[in-house]
Amino acid sequence: MSTAPDAIQAEGLIKTFHDPERGEVNAVQGLDLICRGGEIMGLLGPNGAGKTTTLRMLATILAPTAGRARVAGFDVVEEPLEVRRRLGFLSGTTGLYPRLTARETLEYFGRLHGLEGPELERQVERVVDAFDLHAFASGRCEALSTGQKQRVSIARATLHDPEVLILDEPTTGLDILAASDMIRFIEQRREEGRAVLFSTHVLSEAERLCDRIAIVHAGRVLAVGTQEELRARTGATWLEDVYRALVAEVEGQTA
Amino acid sequence: MAPMRADSRGSVVWTVARKELREALRDRQTALTTLVLPLCMYPLLFWVMVQGALVVQGYRESQEVVVGFAGAAPEGALEALGGGPVGAEPEARPDASAGVDPVRLEPLAGTAQEADLRAALEDAGLGLDAALGFGAEGILLLFDGASPHGELAERRVRDRLEDLRVRVRAEALEAAGHDPRVLDRLELETVDLGDAADKGALALATILPLLLATWCFLGAFFPAIDLSAGERERSTLETTRLLPVPRRWVLEGKVLAVASLAILATLANLVAIALSAEGLLRQIDPGGRLLVAFPTVALLAAAPMVALFALFCAALLTAFAGLARNFREAQASLGPLQLVFVLPAMAAILPGVELTPLLALVPVLGVTLAVKSLILGQVLLLEYALTIVGLLVYAAAALSFSVRMMSREGFATASDTIGFGRALRMFRSSRAISR
Repeated sequence: MSTAPDAIQAEGLIKTFHDPERGEVNAVQGLDLICRGGEIMGLLGPNGAGKTTTLRMLATILAPTAGRARVAGFDVVEEPLEVRRRLGFLSGTTGLYPRLTARETLEYFGRLHGLEGPELERQVERVVDAFDLHAFASGRCEALSTGQKQRVSIARATLHDPEVLILDEPTTGLDILAASDMIRFIEQRREEGRAVLFSTHVLSEAERLCDRIAIVHAGRVLAVGTQEELRARTGATWLEDVYRALVAEVEGQTA
Repeated sequence: MAPMRADSRGSVVWTVARKELREALRDRQTALTTLVLPLCMYPLLFWVMVQGALVVQGYRESQEVVVGFAGAAPEGALEALGGGPVGAEPEARPDASAGVDPVRLEPLAGTAQEADLRAALEDAGLGLDAALGFGAEGILLLFDGASPHGELAERRVRDRLEDLRVRVRAEALEAAGHDPRVLDRLELETVDLGDAADKGALALATILPLLLATWCFLGAFFPAIDLSAGERERSTLETTRLLPVPRRWVLEGKVLAVASLAILATLANLVAIALSAEGLLRQIDPGGRLLVAFPTVALLAAAPMVALFALFCAALLTAFAGLARNFREAQASLGPLQLVFVLPAMAAILPGVELTPLLALVPVLGVTLAVKSLILGQVLLLEYALTIVGLLVYAAAALSFSVRMMSREGFATASDTIGFGRALRMFRSSRAISR
């Protein structure tokens, strides 16, 4: 199944928080972004760069202060339900309901996605098979290991076969095997023609997975392109140096 | 797979409520406070009360008190007091009340004057519980009312001397050629014409509405915290906000689950108290002056009002509990709210406070008075209708407040407990992301 050419579009996205101690905090300052169907795009930047806030706005968890964003062709402010119906979102803070079993969790999300009866059972079985949840599908989520929880979370986020997958630092806290499963899963989504946008500060992960990378710094996208394009633009070989060069460039402009 | 949608509000609210109920009842604390505690508490509490009363009574009856005396005792007084030959060992005394309310008499060296009696009583070496002075003008008894033994000694001496006084008076009347029953004409006998069932209903109408309001509130208390602050603590708030259905419907499902648990807890309490109260009544009213019948019809008539009240409690508690960062802080901050609910309910038990069209509209008080009136067998249709209208308005307002509060972005992103002032500011300024 093909997806819309631009699965995610963000134009001039701004997010300002009011902090009682720091006053106005500009977490995202005019961010532009396009992620296409069948593409893996990485948001690369250090902690506090505005990656998580951007992803949360795209997932309709936060409302943008200004700017526009569309996911799967729907506006995140005007049509948030349509966005959530077509989106799979996963982050370190999207916990599983601890007192439900893995299967109950999947059934709950399936029902709220409009699945019922044999279709619900079929889709649940599909993800149970796909993520090999059989051994612990009847166990309460609170009793599962971190890796098992991660697999249930992925199954939960993809039960409705979303057109767009947004992952916030998906491998943080995972052991080697669980992280490797996650990387394979992201690659598989691309093979299925889905768009994947994920944030990371792990350079090796970005190098391995991303078709294009958006370098994010202080709430802005400094540059977007393939790794070759970014290297060509900065003259640096390693992503770390690419990042440093771009930050130096923008700080030089503002100095 | 083309995106599907759960478009029916009822189906979504029910799906969310069912999931929340399942989760809540799997929580040990919620299950304990909602079902286990009510079902066990009242039978256990009443059994402990009855057994405790029996133990205390038996203990008091077996306790010997020591009463010192001075002066010339009237004839038969010492025997009446149960002392037998003064100074003899207890087992050697022919005490009619041996083993029950025993009194040991000890002769005192001083006079029957108050000062001597006081000195004797205050002399720890004598070990007296009371001091008795037989004088020409009458009998003086000194005791320490702050001491359990002193109070016991006073009661036993007073009762036994009263028996003696009645006996001596009757003997004197007989000796003078009078019928001792002549004084019976001055005895007052009272006859209560009140119907035992009516009295039972009055007693029930006094306490049951207050209990129902309290049970509803407490039944909603822990589930409301678990489903709101608990969700923040368990890091599942974001997961819930990602559900592909309107957030208002999700919250309605949560409130429905909390209200259902409040009703369940109220029913469990009601069943438990109905089953165990009969035993307690037998103990406190052995004469059967009260006839307490379970007010099935009245409670069935009151059920819709109680259900709406549970919804009101659930919506309000869920909104306020959601401001807290975690379960413990929510528990601490919602504690005082209990008074706001219980005080108006307590006003309903005051004599003379009856259901009127105006009071029917007062939150908590209206429903409590309506239940009271139904138990008393009154039929006040206008007032009941106003009570229901009031409850509907308050429940809807509480739900709306709850939805608006939880749809604030500040609420969703707060990592700490939100104070009431900050909540109000947030309510005015923060952006809503309710859809």
